[in-house]
Amino acid sequence: MFDTFRSRMKTWFTIGAGTIAAILVAGMLGAFGALEEPEIPSFDSGEPIETGQWIVVPLRAFVVTDQRIFGMPVTEGTRALVVEAEMTNRTASSTGDYHSLITLDPAISADKASFVALTRDPHLTPELHPGMTERIAYIWMVPDTVDLPDRLPLTIRSKIYKPIDNLYGTPGWFNEHVLGRVTVPVETETAS
Amino acid sequence: MMRRIANLGIIGLAALVCYGMQISKPRYADLIGPIPVHGSMGENVEARLFDVTIEKVEFANELAIKEFGEEKTLTTSGLWAIITTGLGASTTSTTVGSATWQGPTGLRYNHTKRLSNATGLPPLAVEPGLPARGRFVFEIPPSQVNGATLLVSNRSYFALDSEARVALDQLDLKPDGTPETVIPVYDMNRPVQGRSDERG
Repeated sequence: MFDTFRSRMKTWFTIGAGTIAAILVAGMLGAFGALEEPEIPSFDSGEPIETGQWIVVPLRAFVVTDQRIFGMPVTEGTRALVVEAEMTNRTASSTGDYHSLITLDPAISADKASFVALTRDPHLTPELHPGMTERIAYIWMVPDTVDLPDRLPLTIRSKIYKPIDNLYGTPGWFNEHVLGRVTVPVETETAS
Repeated sequence: MMRRIANLGIIGLAALVCYGMQISKPRYADLIGPIPVHGSMGENVEARLFDVTIEKVEFANELAIKEFGEEKTLTTSGLWAIITTGLGASTTSTTVGSATWQGPTGLRYNHTKRLSNATGLPPLAVEPGLPARGRFVFEIPPSQVNGATLLVSNRSYFALDSEARVALDQLDLKPDGTPETVIPVYDMNRPVQGRSDERG
């Protein structure tokens, strides 16, 4: 009885090892490059988007040219591109972990926002508290040479929660990834 | 054959023991986390390097503050909670740098950093034998008023040190869920005053 069990196990192991080897070789030869990329969802502007830590509602974008914006000077040769969003902290403690939540098309700026301000009173990089919705402005300093579209595409990123991280065994938010895209209209007037 | 089965059994048992240890042992964060020192309002709560006494808890809709010679009014989507405390150092000069309002369900509201220039705000330097006063300002939704705990420590991120956890008294709430007395505009430019100053 054990003999048949043994030979059967051997067969199963051989089949398993063969399959794994075949998948590895196929992967190395680039066979999965032909797979379709998973489609990135797109959201409507003004619609609440639930990321891991935040509920974010991208509201509008506008350009400021020749003045100060939230107390920060706009240097010559650049424009301040402001994206306003309503944000609610979904986590259990106050946090300011939102700098890479909204990013622009790399053609406009590949960097994170130059600074982030609370619109209530121009306080830079505010901590947002659990369940308290605030209006936040993401500001990029964009050179004049860069053309800005009428409708600005934004990328919304999210992180996942790990109750035990791989390094210290502590809880935290990790593995940032693209959640979706949203397009907001760019208002032309240079109001702040 | 029996020997092999016994070996497999031992491997299985070892895996089970390892799994049991993994799920039952305290995590790194629990091992090096803050050491709580519990207390209630009005009581002097003694942590390792400092002691703290809550003198007053006030609520306000707006804060008035003078920053760089400019009068400013700070608004919030919830309520401002202002806690006035007496502080002391036990054996050496120390800094009380972090305060958190922990709501009834465990949500943690860090002390606000929107006031950069007011007096009596953390980080507060405290010397032994010289009683000091501190003011901790929080932004909280009205739902977090009752059943809250104030957490005070030397720093925000620390290991193996004590954290004062002071349970705040229950308050009477109005039907709309806000506390009975909410100051319309709290003047942050006033010097920090405790209960004893008002009496005297």
